Amino acid sequence: MAHALELACGHRPLTYPGSSRTADPTRAIPDLAATVRAVVSGDQAAFARLYADYVRMIHAILLGRVPHRDVDDLVQEVFITAYTRIRELRNAAAFGGWLATIARNRATDYRRQAREPVELPAELPGGDAIESETLAVLDIVRKLPDAYRETLLMRLVEGMTGDEIAARTGLTPGSVRVNLHRGMKMLREQLGVEPAQP
Amino acid sequence: MNDDYLWNRSGPPDPDIHRLEQLLGRLRSVPPLPHLPEADAERPRRRGYGVLLATAAIVLVVAGTCRTMRAPAAWEVASVAGQPRIGSATLARRGRIAVGETLVTDSASQARINVSTIGEVTVDPDTRVRLVATRQGHHQLALERGTLHAVITAPPGQFIVSTRSATATDLGCAYTLHVDEDGTGLLSVTAGWVALTFNGRESLVPAGASSRTHPTLGPGTPWYADADEQFQDAVYELDFGSDAARRAGALHTVLERAEAGHAVTLWHLIRRVDAADRDALVDALADQVAMPAGVTREAVLKLDAAALDQWWNALGLGEAGWWRKFAAPMPGPQQ
Repeated sequence: MAHALELACGHRPLTYPGSSRTADPTRAIPDLAATVRAVVSGDQAAFARLYADYVRMIHAILLGRVPHRDVDDLVQEVFITAYTRIRELRNAAAFGGWLATIARNRATDYRRQAREPVELPAELPGGDAIESETLAVLDIVRKLPDAYRETLLMRLVEGMTGDEIAARTGLTPGSVRVNLHRGMKMLREQLGVEPAQP
Repeated sequence: MNDDYLWNRSGPPDPDIHRLEQLLGRLRSVPPLPHLPEADAERPRRRGYGVLLATAAIVLVVAGTCRTMRAPAAWEVASVAGQPRIGSATLARRGRIAVGETLVTDSASQARINVSTIGEVTVDPDTRVRLVATRQGHHQLALERGTLHAVITAPPGQFIVSTRSATATDLGCAYTLHVDEDGTGLLSVTAGWVALTFNGRESLVPAGASSRTHPTLGPGTPWYADADEQFQDAVYELDFGSDAARRAGALHTVLERAEAGHAVTLWHLIRRVDAADRDALVDALADQVAMPAGVTREAVLKLDAAALDQWWNALGLGEAGWWRKFAAPMPGPQQ
């Protein structure tokens, strides 16, 4: 049966034969509704599967809104909130969008509770030139419109493909493609770089 | 702009996008699954039963706690496809696997095991897995061949899978482990972390990374999924190759292709190359993650454990001491 992760290294390739659940990060949850139902009934292993599949999307959403140093903590808070409130989710197929909304609301609360709520605090690089450049680019991405910002961070930070972004967010692949294209165009403009010629 | 590359990295890489991936990819992080609270139970609405229900709840909690603390000596197994076997008995739908028993799937069967009260393991076709031990705080499988997918919600260090080429200790979350008949293996971590140990060799594998295992040499160096094939080949050669010329070429490839985000790979390789080659790896790692104050180049080149651990701590993947606290002692080959 077909594999889902094959690492041909010039040596004997290792495959995961016959698997529908593998380490392939682009895979979709085979039965999201059943997984959500299992979580509702208290199945923590089922929730761990959801966590594994959606954690990068949530990380990207929060990274676009709160200081880098606090993102990991807030990711965990978002999932704890989702776990305790999952009975409120009426349509299991909307899990990704529902979870994303929790993340956006949590980021809003975070900023509201911050002492200087008007602007996102500037990131403070540790002195490393690459880190400084990374955080400078991140600040520029954060100024893009929400849809472009989130989609670009999922692609450029989290390494998600367009199909995977669509599957997790609930957006259509066409919308994701447009967000990526337009977001990248705006980012290039902000960075002052010309698109590469084909 | 190369939209195919932007979409799914297919086609020729767009240099600007590739550069942004390298730069922003440094911000990637997968925090471990948090400890989950009890989900809200549906509350009774009739006051008259309050005392009775409270009493019943206490009894259930005590009973549940005792049950959890004892941890059943056999685990529930469900057939997902086909007819898996436990020992010589065919599993029709549900059954139990006891310590010492082996679950076997053929090319058409698949099974799911409830790992005591701490998670689940999906067993793929053509797999043999044995339950080695289960007790409070310690649950162990032996994967003799094939593939399993583990999702564990227990605190780190409680779930262990041994193979002929490594012992995988779960440090919280989800991974896939495959092992061939000859003991050659591959671990891919999807969330959390896994520590691989064997014959005094250890690999600390974070989410998004994979590591091969060798039946006599043990765990290889982890690499992230976005590393290209040549980089992976070179890491394999440095881990398990013996030809000096090929190893020299492999080192050159690694140094040439090491990008931001490959610090985990470089850190592991420092211990695994010849002394003469360490300088170059130390330089490459220092380009990505500065050597912390108090760590000297001399100490790193001498493979001083404390110095290497301090540098690991600077990678932002958790404290080395934390990893080792939970990692299983380094065993020899599985009997």
